[in-house]
Amino acid sequence: MPAADNIRNFCIIAHIDHGKSTLADRMLMGTGAMDERTKKEQKLDSMDLERERGITIKAAAVSVEHTYNGKLYELNFIDTPGHVDFHYEVSRALAACEGAILVVDATQGVEAQTVANLYKAVDADLELIPVINKIDLPSAEPDKRAMQVEEVLGLDAADCVMTSAKTGVGVPELLDAICERFPPPKGEPDAPLQALIFDAKYDDYRGVIVYFRVVNGHFKKGDRILMMGAKRTYQVTELGKFKPDMHPTPEPFEAGDVGYMVAAIKSLEDVNVGDTITLDTARCDKPLPGYQEPQPMVYCDFYPSGDTQFDELRDAIARLHVNDASFTYEPSNSEALGSGFRCGFLGMLHMDIIQERLEREGDVSIVQTAPTVTYEVVITGKGGVKQTIQITNPSELPDMGQVREIREPIVAAEIITPTTSIGDIMKLCENRRGIYKSQKFLADDRQILEYDLPLAEIIYDFFDKLKSITSGYGTMDYHVTGFKADNLVKMDVLVNGSPVEALSLIVHRTKAEFRGRHLLKRLKEQIDRHLFEIPLQAAIGGKIIARETIKSVGKNVTAKCYGGDVTRKRKLLEKQKKGKERMKRVGTVDIPQEAFMSVLDTGE
Amino acid sequence: MNLPINRTTPEHIGPTDPKQDTGNAPNPEAQNPQARSAPGGFQGLYLHLPFCFHKCHYCDFYSVVPAKEPARTNGNAENAPDIQDAFTAALCAELRRWVVSLQDQGEPLAPATVFAGGGTPTFLKPSCWKTLLHDLHGHRVLQHVDEFTVEANPETVTPALMDMLVDGGVNRVSIGAQSFDRGSLKALERWHDPDNVPRAVELCRNAGLDNVSLDLIFAIPGQTLDMLNRDLERLLELQPEHLSIYGLTYEPQTALTARLRVGQVQRVDEDTERAMYDHVMTRLDAAGYEQYELSNWARRDPTRDLRCRHNLGYWQNHNWLGLGPAAASHRDGQRWRNAPNLPRYVSGSPNPPRVDEETLPPPLRFGEQLMLGLRTSAGVERAWIDAALEPGDARNAYLEEVIALGLLEKTESHLRLTRQGRFVADTILARLL
Ligand SMILES: Nc1nc2c(ncn2[C@@H]2O[C@H](COP(=O)(O)OP(=O)(O)O)[C@@H](O)[C@H]2O)c(=O)[nH]1
Ligand code: SF4
Repeated sequence: MPAADNIRNFCIIAHIDHGKSTLADRMLMGTGAMDERTKKEQKLDSMDLERERGITIKAAAVSVEHTYNGKLYELNFIDTPGHVDFHYEVSRALAACEGAILVVDATQGVEAQTVANLYKAVDADLELIPVINKIDLPSAEPDKRAMQVEEVLGLDAADCVMTSAKTGVGVPELLDAICERFPPPKGEPDAPLQALIFDAKYDDYRGVIVYFRVVNGHFKKGDRILMMGAKRTYQVTELGKFKPDMHPTPEPFEAGDVGYMVAAIKSLEDVNVGDTITLDTARCDKPLPGYQEPQPMVYCDFYPSGDTQFDELRDAIARLHVNDASFTYEPSNSEALGSGFRCGFLGMLHMDIIQERLEREGDVSIVQTAPTVTYEVVITGKGGVKQTIQITNPSELPDMGQVREIREPIVAAEIITPTTSIGDIMKLCENRRGIYKSQKFLADDRQILEYDLPLAEIIYDFFDKLKSITSGYGTMDYHVTGFKADNLVKMDVLVNGSPVEALSLIVHRTKAEFRGRHLLKRLKEQIDRHLFEIPLQAAIGGKIIARETIKSVGKNVTAKCYGGDVTRKRKLLEKQKKGKERMKRVGTVDIPQEAFMSVLDTGE
Repeated sequence: MNLPINRTTPEHIGPTDPKQDTGNAPNPEAQNPQARSAPGGFQGLYLHLPFCFHKCHYCDFYSVVPAKEPARTNGNAENAPDIQDAFTAALCAELRRWVVSLQDQGEPLAPATVFAGGGTPTFLKPSCWKTLLHDLHGHRVLQHVDEFTVEANPETVTPALMDMLVDGGVNRVSIGAQSFDRGSLKALERWHDPDNVPRAVELCRNAGLDNVSLDLIFAIPGQTLDMLNRDLERLLELQPEHLSIYGLTYEPQTALTARLRVGQVQRVDEDTERAMYDHVMTRLDAAGYEQYELSNWARRDPTRDLRCRHNLGYWQNHNWLGLGPAAASHRDGQRWRNAPNLPRYVSGSPNPPRVDEETLPPPLRFGEQLMLGLRTSAGVERAWIDAALEPGDARNAYLEEVIALGLLEKTESHLRLTRQGRFVADTILARLL
């Protein structure tokens, strides 16, 4: 292995679609790690779903060699998840690097994630190389974008490397710049071992594969290691690098090295990103800074539906959790919906991905309740003592008499919007109880807006609204900053006289009537007429604030049914019946899955 | 002709067999073919005569409109062989094959009912009818038949044809009136002059028929309750023995449904449709008709049972044999259908290709029998349900729920839809499959 001086650990950060993956592939090809023929797919994201959705869910790391000025360098490219839900994972990946390549699309310029990612890279103390990509496009304006990088991001325009990931132009220069401008890793090879886990993957044959960066000390195959946060020890059975395939390396890994570890770890549940690996026999004093327990911010329930049984759902969730521990789950019970699981996610997209993977890979069908955020509730506990509890479900809210205040998570959001839409975007934010922070010009026609917003107000359709207001040009990034008290109440929904917990929600008092009326209207559209009339009511603390009625079926009888029709007729009715089975029965009312989601529709 | 309702019809059961099989209450054996003493025997024979002179827009029955042949209008037309002749030859061949093969199985084809539907059976050339009737008699198929129905379009009923049919053994005619309102007929793109309906009935009477059924459709786009009322009154003036009255169904792949989708026609709203059905039930009851199935009424007559015995066989899951393209058959839980393809039927490799062949597993079969049996006013025998339904079956609870809502009721021996339940039969039946 090259000496630490010749190692460069770096990542690429970019707004989505600015060319991060293409550039990464191109760099691998440039160094001979992959050639056009073997490049069936972009090597660095390897899940189907990721490719379909155009996002990177699981980070990876690849080591390549490059000769610069007659010296051989090892370049470790650490990939970062591209989505806004994975902030913590991104920050850990950045912590494993000394440098970051900031890619900006030569036709689009700086976007919200460019800014957010830059802040993160600066926070992580990384050296930066700005790259203006897609210069092959006729509409590319590289010089203008370089000036924007200087003016908006404060990086020297002259430092920009111009590339086309598509044609390969500028890529050799970029590789040289990495060797020249990024610092080599620092660290004490002789200190006690401290290695940062920045990612982990599950492999059916080998168990968990841990991605690490050695910060101090060294270790090798056969060592017994301790994961300090998880407090588990393992015997290392293999250490190696991705080149880009797995490549076992017999020599010890020293401060500055990046690689993977196999250690007979059965489940991803046992490994936490951000945790510190040390030697069990020669432990370091302190773990590396910045470790956090995974903190889900968005919760919803999954219940089995249709033919799926509870056991099948449980097995499917457990199986998925083994290879994707980014979500949490625990059994839950709802009077209306039966037995299921309450699951926690990093964000909405994350939730969608997990649900889709469960249905696709686990072959189960699921009714999903409307997601809610985590709330902090300050209550008067035993003996009048003030106490703070966390709830992830409106049904867990204690009796309002006990509640002193309810606090909700707040995010800091950076929104980039065309100047022409600024008024509408501000209105949108105000409607969602946003607090204005600042406004900056990005270019003559675009601005960055900063708002603090309640997470609950943006988890559903905020992003879609933003896109539609700005005709697709608006972009946004956000991260949770803390909790804040507000005038929040719980609204219950009664279907046919019984409260359905899965439809209850916590709302701002001033919006309760409006939301209640809107919700009942939506439910009325979504729940089919039954054999009987169904009253729908919204209530706060027993007081009805809105009502609707679903009339009973008027006429549903297929007139003719004769010899030739019997089979067809039966099939038609079977179809009706199948439709019903996909719904959830609450008492004697069949509620379709979409109805549970209509809780989220703000009606604005 | 027929109507949307094609195989619709009518009627009765001869005085010979007053009320047993057909009776108001199907006995458990009738509901459960497995238990019947003579498996395999076909109690009904259905003949599909797939020609119409125009395709009505709501119709999804298999029928073809033959190309206009100039020969038809001149004198020797009748003699030039055409598609109808070829079809009749193929039908007679199919009939012969079945007669022979059933004979070999020791189950000679000797149905109690015959039903000729379509298509427009009265649009089949008289010469073809002649051949067909000749063969039916020749194979002694009609020996035990006491109900032989032919569907008719008011436009195509002629004295000569009627005489020939009655001579050939036909004792029941079902006429597709559908509506007496020209606007409504136009909305359906059904081509007949409403004034021809009374004329057709009269021709039937003149031919000696004492069992005439009329079909009517309600909830036609543009129709009001008032308009339906007028249609009903005109219908009743004709004093039919039997009535089939249906809410219009928008069948997939029909011109009407396509027009609905593009907004050229508007569906009658659900509440009005309900009021219409309600009115039909009330009015017919007052006029002396008994509703014995969701859309079928027979005149109360102390001397005869005027229900359509052939169609009751469908709901009671009897065995019947269907001949002709698109004709469906059922034999002891096995269902099949001839391919709806006239050219292939006519070019006839020995047997017409079959489609939709299925043998239902017992739970599905049970559901299907409930679906069919509950359409009849008698309902289905409780003892049979109790024997067939496992205690753990979710349908038990559902039945109780629907009974509690007053939509199903238990009589001493049977389970049946209540009057309220008839409005929402499909919603209920779907859950029982
Ligand atoms: N013309 C051109 N297209 C590029 C270039 N780099 C990336 N693309 C295209 O831009 C799109 C997004 O690229 P991708 O690498 O997936 O972006 P990521 O979301 O940042 O990983 C893809 O369609 C690429 O083919 C480039 O240099 N020139
Ligand atoms: S006449 Fe022909 S087209 Fe019209 S309903 Fe009857 S079968 Fe269909």
